[in-house]
Amino acid sequence: MKFTDKLIDAVDKKLERFDPLWQAEHGVGGQRSRYYDKTGVAKWREWRGVKDTFYDYSAWLKNLAAMAGMVASAPLPILKGFWEYRWMGSYLGTFMFIDRLFEGYRGTELRIAHMNMYGIVQNLTKKIAFILANDKRLGGGPDSDKCIPFDETIPPLFLKGFKGLTPVPMQTLPEFIICDIDQHIEPYYIDVAESFGLAADVCSRCAAEAGVALDDAFPILGKVMLSTNMPCNASEATSMFQRRRIGLPDFPVTMAMQHAEKEAIPYSRQELLNAIAFVEEHYGVKYDWDTFYKYAEIMNEQNAIELEKWEIFKTPYSALSGIAETLYKLYEWQSANGADPYFNKIDRKVIEIMRQAYEDKYQPFGGKTRHRAFLWGPSAVYYTDFPTWTQNCWGITIVLNMDSTMGYNQIDTSDREKALDDLTALEQRATMRHHAVGGWDNVNAVWDWAKKFNCDMVLMNDNIACKGMLGVHAMMEEQARDLGFHFIFIEHDLEDSRTVSRQDMRNCVNNYMSVVLNEKPLDPTIVEFDDSQAY
Amino acid sequence: MKKTLAFLLKALGKLVLIALILFAATFALYITNGENKLIYYVIRPFLNKHYDAQVRDKRIV
Repeated sequence: MKFTDKLIDAVDKKLERFDPLWQAEHGVGGQRSRYYDKTGVAKWREWRGVKDTFYDYSAWLKNLAAMAGMVASAPLPILKGFWEYRWMGSYLGTFMFIDRLFEGYRGTELRIAHMNMYGIVQNLTKKIAFILANDKRLGGGPDSDKCIPFDETIPPLFLKGFKGLTPVPMQTLPEFIICDIDQHIEPYYIDVAESFGLAADVCSRCAAEAGVALDDAFPILGKVMLSTNMPCNASEATSMFQRRRIGLPDFPVTMAMQHAEKEAIPYSRQELLNAIAFVEEHYGVKYDWDTFYKYAEIMNEQNAIELEKWEIFKTPYSALSGIAETLYKLYEWQSANGADPYFNKIDRKVIEIMRQAYEDKYQPFGGKTRHRAFLWGPSAVYYTDFPTWTQNCWGITIVLNMDSTMGYNQIDTSDREKALDDLTALEQRATMRHHAVGGWDNVNAVWDWAKKFNCDMVLMNDNIACKGMLGVHAMMEEQARDLGFHFIFIEHDLEDSRTVSRQDMRNCVNNYMSVVLNEKPLDPTIVEFDDSQAY
Repeated sequence: MKKTLAFLLKALGKLVLIALILFAATFALYITNGENKLIYYVIRPFLNKHYDAQVRDKRIV
């Protein structure tokens, strides 16, 4: 043993009483012991042992540098953005968000988690700087009219064929990402929408998007916008509110609802071609298929690596799971979607580490995993850091989330006709579509996925305002009983934490684990606690 | 030669000192969760006050 290793071991031994995992094991505290009540503000950062604490510190520094780089690249627009948009203030909660996502992470899983998170941070900070620097509400910039604003649920890969134009997902900054970071931001926008007369029982994500539009809080870029019907009927409604308020010429990309059927392909494919023609007409540019193929190759590599990851997910030796897997995949697939080769770099590194961990039979989270769960969950699982909590509290590892099963087919880059069919298949299976929309079979597939990934448990988020999914509640419970899965419905109101609090959501799992399974928590300090004032 | 070496050693010493001070300052900020406390208790309440005072266009379009 090297001298440095001996020294580190000695320090670790001396300081182990500050490690929340050690505290929970020895009944003298746990993860919640270091927090100020209700706030989500930790008195000090998690002590993870010398090596892991310093790794976490270096990741924190790297994220800090990315944010400093963002401000330095567009100082005035960033300041104006903070002053103009309420949602920009919420981005200040990012460090707290990252901390709580990776609580209890050690060793290989911590390294992979931070690699993935940095991918998101570096992409998002660049996006924020670019969008604010060209936002016409803040004075505009040189690229204001070279942007194509589109509804973020449209996978932007097909728009990458426009050389010199930048596709900009409209809802990503003011709604989609920020609702995960700050649970208090969307209720404001929901209230704005309701003050205009929107019914209070609709999907809170769509209500929040409508509220952002009515509050004039969408950055304005480009000459036209592309709205969509994806993923569901409530999205159609919010698209209509947004197009009326924003007032740009709009092309609604209406993809087939029954997307799993073969007949859907020709229809949706024509929609994509019509959207391309619409952009060509308004911007006076020609679509370049070779440029599209270049980005399709990037996407293909990401999907190929993803499928290899899935093989490792099926085993107990996957160093990538939970929030580090699902949040990364959601962002990489939906927001980057082949447009940022940095994600390929991360994927190549991560799969290498995963292969090694698998060969070493490395069991993450100290081998304390008791249950393997397939998660059927949208954004309410992110602001609640739910997968991290299920792991730390009850030893339930989230093997895969439904958000990670979006379009994973390869795109032919040698034949335009085949490429179009493949692209359409990929685009139709966008966020919240694969398992929620397009017929009963897509919902029902949750059992096949759970079985395929050797899960004994299914956690199903039950959005109390989602009319479609409420209809299948009882059927899912019946099927779980028949198929022998541990099955927990987790009620939530998506982005409105006032209706169903974080603790109410956690209680759904607490009740099942303690009453039905009679299990004891790994960390009793996080079974019941008040984090209502936390971001 | 000696002078150059002395200069280089001095510069290196200064660099190490600056790196140590930077490390101590950033690590102290990190471990005490300092930036999050500042954001939660000072910056966000200030910004929220400003956001609440904003006049937004309430016209129905």
